[in-house]
Amino acid sequence: MCTGIALAWSEMPTELIGRHGLARRVHERGGEREFRFLYRDRRPRLPVWRDGRLQVVRWGNGRGQSRFLPRTGWTWLSTIHEGGWRGLGAIPVDIPATLALERGVWFRVRQGIRGLLVPDERGIAVVYMICEPASHYYQVMTRSERMPILIEERI
Amino acid sequence: MGHLDADCFYVSAERVRDEFLRDKAVGVLGNQGACVIAKSYEMKAAGVGTGMPIWEALVKCPTGIYVKRDFRWYEVLSRLMLDVVRELSPRVEYYSIDEFFFLAGPARGRTFQELAVALRDRIWERVRVPVTVGIARTRTLAKLISDSAKPFGAWAVLDPEAEAKLLADRPVTEITGIAGRRAARLAPWGIRTCLDLARADRRLVRALLTASGEALWWELNGDPVQPIHPQRPLHKALSRGGSFGEATSDPVVLYAWLVRNLERLIEELEFHAVCAGRLTVWVAYKDGRVGVGQAAPLVPSDRFDILLDTARPCLRRAWVPRVPAARMHLIAERLTPKGRRPLGLFDPPADRAEAIARLKREVNARHGRFVLRSGATLPLAAIYRDTANEYDICDVRGKICF
Ligand SMILES: [Mg+2]
Repeated sequence: MCTGIALAWSEMPTELIGRHGLARRVHERGGEREFRFLYRDRRPRLPVWRDGRLQVVRWGNGRGQSRFLPRTGWTWLSTIHEGGWRGLGAIPVDIPATLALERGVWFRVRQGIRGLLVPDERGIAVVYMICEPASHYYQVMTRSERMPILIEERI
Repeated sequence: MGHLDADCFYVSAERVRDEFLRDKAVGVLGNQGACVIAKSYEMKAAGVGTGMPIWEALVKCPTGIYVKRDFRWYEVLSRLMLDVVRELSPRVEYYSIDEFFFLAGPARGRTFQELAVALRDRIWERVRVPVTVGIARTRTLAKLISDSAKPFGAWAVLDPEAEAKLLADRPVTEITGIAGRRAARLAPWGIRTCLDLARADRRLVRALLTASGEALWWELNGDPVQPIHPQRPLHKALSRGGSFGEATSDPVVLYAWLVRNLERLIEELEFHAVCAGRLTVWVAYKDGRVGVGQAAPLVPSDRFDILLDTARPCLRRAWVPRVPAARMHLIAERLTPKGRRPLGLFDPPADRAEAIARLKREVNARHGRFVLRSGATLPLAAIYRDTANEYDICDVRGKICF
C-alpha cells in the first residue's frame, strides 16, 4: 500500500500552507524543500485538485471519524467499477505528487495519483487513493501486491 | 587516443528529461526492480553500490529516489553523444552505451587539452549529459586518465613526466583487465601501482600475465598497441538472458525463461544473419551454485524448433531441483554465416518451421515485439505485460561491449 507522497515546495500555494498548518510537514531532500503527506500522520491529509483548485483534505477514515465510510485510506479500482461507491456522491480527483512512498521505497511520480473524493455524514471531504494489482516491477521493487494508479504513467 | 565516459550515465539520462532529479540521491532500478544498476554520486556517497539489492540500498539511503530503467531512452542519448564525438574525431569506437574511444587530433592551432574540454562541453550543451574525457598516448592511459578525472572532467596528459606521476598514484587494479587474480600474481614482485607495472621488465610481465598483459605494458609505456575499432568485429558469440527479478525453483517457469531467451536469441541470429553451431544454457542459483548444459544441433541453425530441441537437454543438465534460480543466460557459439553453411543431409523438413518463423516475424513486425510467441512463455505473462522488458541493454546494437 502506498503510505505516503511528497510534493515539491514550489507546487503548493502559499495560502494553503498557513491555512492547513503544513509547515510541520516540510522536509528537505537534496537541498530542496518538499511537503510529506503520510498516512501514519496523526492527521493524515492529501492534496487534491478539485474544480481547478488545489485543496488539502482528509486522507481516508483510518481513525473512524465517520461512522459509515470504510476505515481505510485506499480503494480498489474494481470496487469503484462494481458500484461499491454508488450513491455516496463520490467523484474522481487527481492527487498531485512528486514522489510516492511504499514500504520504504520513495519512487518518482511524474504527475500524480488517482483518488476518489467522497463527503462524510457531516459533509467533510475525504479522499481515498485508488489502487490496482501491482505490476511485476512494482511488486519486485516494493514487495507489495497493490499499487496506486498513477496518472498517465505505467511502471 | 581519447576516452570518453558519461558520468553515472543512466541517472544522468533520467535527469535530462526530469530536472527534479538533479542534485538528489537517485538510483536506477534494473532486474525487474530488484537492484540498483546505476546510482548518482549523492547515492554513492551514502554507500550504495552498483548491483546492490534494493532492500540493502534502502537501509543505506532511505531518502533516495528510485526510477525504472529505460534503455530505449538511454540509447537515444547514447547515439546523440556518439554524433558529437564523430564531429570532433575522424575515428570513433562505440565501446559501450556510455563509453567511446576515439582518435584525438585537435584542429590546427588547438591543444589536446582544448579538444578534451570542447568535447565535454559540446556534449553537455547539446545532450545535457555530463561526461569525462581523457586524452593520452594510448587507450589504456586515456581510460586511466578519464577514470581519475571524474566527474565532469577533461584532461589531456601527454608529457611523460605527468604520465609517470599519474601512474604512480594509481593501483594496478584500476587498469581494465587487471582484477584480483592477476593483481595477486604481480604482488610478490612488488608491482602494486600502475607505474610499478610500467617500469617492470617486459618479459616478466609477459610471463606473469601472458600476451594480453604484455599489451597493457606497452600501452602504459605510451606505445599504442590497441587500435580503435570503428566497426564491431564479427561476433564470436551471441547471448540473451539476465536476472529473473524473482528467483524461482519451478521447472515450468525456468522452461518459460529458456523459451523467452531463445526467441530473443533467434531475433539476434536473424539480425546478424548467422546460424548457431552450439548452445550453452547457464543458470545461476541463489545458493551460489551454477549449472551449465551445452549441446550442438546436428547442423548450425537459426530455427526455433531445432534450437529448442538442442536447448531443452541443456536446461535439464543445468537444472538443480528445488533450489531457487536467479538468472539464466543462453549463449550461441560457433556462428556461421547463414546461407553459407553446408546443406545438411539430415536437416529436418523445413517448410512448416519456416512458415511459422515467417508468420512470427511478420506479425511481430506489424503488431509489436513478442505479440506472437511460444505458448511455453505463458508463466511469464507479467514480464511480457511490462513493455519496458521488450528492450534491454543487450538490444543496443553496434557497441563493442556492455
Ligand atoms: Mg560511465
